[in-house]
This record gives sequence, structure tokens and C-alpha cells, in this order.
Amino acid sequence: MTSPAPTEIQPGDGGDRPPKPSGTVPRRIALLVLFIVAVVWSISGLDISMERLRSAPGDAWKIFRFMFPPDFSGEIERGVIGKVFESVYIAWIGTMIAATISLPLAFLAATNVAPMWIRVPMRQFFNAIRAVPELIVAVVLLAVTGLGPWAGALAIGLHSVGTLGKLSTETIESADTGPIEAVEACGGRWISAMRWGVLPQVLPIIISYWLFRFEINIRASAVLGMIGAGGVGSELVQQLNFRNFPAVGAVLIFTVVVVLIIDTVSSAVRRRIIQGGSHKAEDSSRDAEALNDLTGIQIR
Amino acid sequence: MATATVVRPKRPRPRIRSLIIAIGLIAFTIFAGRKVGFTLTTVINLGNLPDNPFVDTIWDKGKIWSLFWPIPWDWVFNRQNVIDPLLETFQIAIISSLIGCSLALPISFAMSRLTTPNWPIYILSKVVMNVVRAVPDLFWAKLLVVAIGIGAFAGAWALSIFSLAVMVKLFSETIDGADPRPLEAAQAAGGRHIPAVRTGVLPTVFPAYVAYALYVFELNIRASLVIGLVGAGGIGRVIETQRQVFEFDRVLGILILIFFVVLVIEQISVAIRKRLV
Repeated sequence: MTSPAPTEIQPGDGGDRPPKPSGTVPRRIALLVLFIVAVVWSISGLDISMERLRSAPGDAWKIFRFMFPPDFSGEIERGVIGKVFESVYIAWIGTMIAATISLPLAFLAATNVAPMWIRVPMRQFFNAIRAVPELIVAVVLLAVTGLGPWAGALAIGLHSVGTLGKLSTETIESADTGPIEAVEACGGRWISAMRWGVLPQVLPIIISYWLFRFEINIRASAVLGMIGAGGVGSELVQQLNFRNFPAVGAVLIFTVVVVLIIDTVSSAVRRRIIQGGSHKAEDSSRDAEALNDLTGIQIR
Repeated sequence: MATATVVRPKRPRPRIRSLIIAIGLIAFTIFAGRKVGFTLTTVINLGNLPDNPFVDTIWDKGKIWSLFWPIPWDWVFNRQNVIDPLLETFQIAIISSLIGCSLALPISFAMSRLTTPNWPIYILSKVVMNVVRAVPDLFWAKLLVVAIGIGAFAGAWALSIFSLAVMVKLFSETIDGADPRPLEAAQAAGGRHIPAVRTGVLPTVFPAYVAYALYVFELNIRASLVIGLVGAGGIGRVIETQRQVFEFDRVLGILILIFFVVLVIEQISVAIRKRLV
């Protein structure tokens, strides 16, 4: 039994530790102070009293308890399944509108295939659309078109043009330029280069973004119902206003089940589309990329 | 003189399965379009709006723009009308981001395969959080408005819950992808679970945590603009009341203001995140 001689480590012996970078401490304190000021300002503005704070969880729990057992049969009689599907239809049509509008526009916004004079305004256009929440679009559209699922689909479609346009643009920018050169060398025009050189490369990825957006739009269309654009949201608001909590529970459960099913199916399809396509990438890294494109967050 | 004969590769036949899928999708789209009331004719008739009693009675079809124009800027920039609710919106977003992100830190560690203390907690937290996330944010807002009363308080609650669910999903996946070796080292050195996670995993994932927190804050700003539409405080309440009395010019003014606010905040947030990550 020979044990290797242990190296002597004294407590507090940080001999070759690098020195702490200077200048971080004041900056940290400044950030902390800023943070605390922001929080205190927010709390003071929301008139949160101790009394309300204490009673709120109890009230919320009471409502939650009223929802059980959920009144499934009554809700089915009122046609909640049709309403849930109406939300799905709205989301689908909205996604289709956005897909048809954003695909050609994305070609006009990509750095590698579009000239400067059209690219810059197109990008700003996408950014501008993305900045307006779809509910706000819907509020304006409802004023123009009247109440109904039609306006909801249009609002979702218009809003999604922004995100889908941005994602598609970035996909086109990452495409291999070899096929474009090949088409141009054969004397093809710009449009043929796009059709035969770029589109086959990027379409699988862009379609997977469409599906990704469809998942988001399902939630958006459920919400749009709350302000009168049809779908499951209107049913929820109605039952809540009647204080018919078992029915509310049933509506919520139907919504959650449908959302989860569609999320699961859609992400499975997305995985297949991407892995069957030219870009063989791990699904998780695709998700990370999609997130990065949406938000600018880099995941290592 | 040998002429090289170029043999073209055969064009692959369309597979039956993809054909069926394509037809199915087209059929579904048409069916959904009919259900929604969005058919080819409505697209063609986009110029002249659908015959809608609501539209017809409220105004003359040709004069829609006169409803939105001119924008009463002095009304919009009035402190009481718009600016105060807008500040309330920010307050809701700040508070709910703080609550959601702080709660998310322990729950994310419980929800990651790498750092979960035990399987029952892992599965329970995962299921609960997935269900919470499947309920849209405005549903939470409306439910809490009914439960604890109209106003910003309910809105802050709703957004806290929703940002918790979003944050937990993003962050627990980052923890899943973290390097397991420091954790193993800490455990091999005899560290108990929480100290081992604290020293072995937290430092490597903390930058991502901060970046996500900023992203969640941005999400909350956007969400808090609209939760007022269901009575949960903030600028949305103003939009809703003005919409109900058909003051669409004011609505449009608020929308333009919101548009610039969102744009500026997004730019700031992106700049901060770029420096962080």
C-alpha cells in the first residue's frame, strides 16, 4: 500500500490565483442599486398591500378548487370541442397566410441574394411587424372587419410574417452559394437561381419554422378569442363571467390537452423534416438555433 | 469522333406517401379556411369589407380612415390617460420577472436530469410546469382577475406564473446540457447534493440564466401591454376602454406609442444580452 504523497495545501493558500479584475465591484454595486430601485418603484406603483398579498393565494386556490370536478359533459354539449378546433383552424390559416407572404419577402431580405436597396427596408419591415403584439393587431382589425375568426386569422398571419420572415431570411443567408453560381453560370436568371439553387436547400428548415410558428399560434389564437375573435378563448371568458367554474375547468383541460398534443406531434414532424433534409442536425441544436434566431440568445 | 452521350439521371418519381400528405394538407387548409370564413372570395374582396352588420351600423364603409385619423396626440401624451398606465405596465413586468425568475432557479435544477435530487420531484415538476406552460398567458391573467380582483395585482401574479414556466423550460434545458464533470468532482469529494450543484453546475450556467432572465423580462413587457385587455391592469386597460367607446383614433395613438416603446426596449435588451453572452 503506497499512497502518493499528498501535496501540501494550506487553507487560504491561493498563491497562484489570478487577481480579481478591477472595476467590477463598483459596477456591480451600481447595477444592484439600480435593480433595487426598479423593484421598489414597481412595488410602490402596484399598491400591493400585505393584506392582499396574504389573501391572494387563498382566493386563487378557492377558484382552483371550484373547478374540480370539471364539467366535461356540459361543456361538450355547449360545443367546446368545436371551439377548440376553431382555434386550431385560426392558427393554421394564420400560419398559412404568414408562410405565403413571408417566403417571397425573405428572399428579398437576405444579404447573399438581394440587392441593398430592397434588403434594408425589407428587414426593417420585418422588425416593425414583430414589435406589434398580435392582440394589438387584432384590436385594430376587429375595428375594421368586425368580430369573428376571420379577423383573428388575419391578425395572427400579419404578426407571424415578421418572425417567419426573419427566420427564413437567416436560413437563406446560411445557404450554400455554390448552386446559385452554377445556375448563373448556365445563364439562369435571378429567379431561376432562387428556385433551383436556394429553395431546395432551405425549404426543409423553413417548413420546420412554419410548424414551430404554428405551435406558437395555437396559443395566440386561443388568446384572441378572449377579445372576440372566435375560438376557445371566448368560451373561457363566457364561462368565467357566469362564474361557472366546473365548465371553466373543462375548457382549460381541453385547451391544455390539445396544445400539448399539437406541440408533441409538431416537434416530432419537425425533427423528421430536418433530419430527412440536407442539413443533418440534432434536434436540440435546431431548437437552440431557432431560439437564438427569435431572441438573440446563444446557448453553448 | 466519339460523341459523349450524357445520360441524364432519372427524375425521381413522387412518392405516393408524400403525395397523400400534400393532398391532405391542402384539403385541411381549405377546410380550415372555410371554417374560419377565409376563402378565396374573401381574399379577392379584401378591398370592400365583408357585409357585417356591426361594421355597417357603426360607420360608413368608405370612411374607415376617418375613424383612425387624425390622432389626438395631446390626449395620448397626457399623463393620466396614457403615461401612467404605461408605467404601470413596466412595473408589472419588473415585478413578475423578478418573482418568476427567482422561483425558476431552484425549480430548474429540480427539473434537469443532471441535477435533480430524485425522480419523483423531477417528474412532478416537469409535468406541472408543462401544463402551466400550455395555458396561454392571457388565460392566466383572466383567471386571476376573476379570482383576486381586477387590476395590476392580478396581472403581476399571472405574469409571474407564466414567466416562471417559460424560464424553467429554457433554463432546465441549459442545465441538461451543462458539463457534468465538475458536479461529479464535487460529489466525489464528498459534497452533498445542494452544495455540489451550487459549486459544480451553477457557475457554468449562470450567464445563461441572466440572459434568459432578460429575455423573460422582454416577454413580460410585451405580455403586460396586452393583459389589460382582460382587466389585469396596465396600458391594455386603456386600449380596451377606448375600444369599447369606439375612440379608435386614440387607440391608434396608443398603439404607435407602444410600438416605439417595444422597439426601444428590444434594442436595449439585445445590446445587454450581446455583452453578457
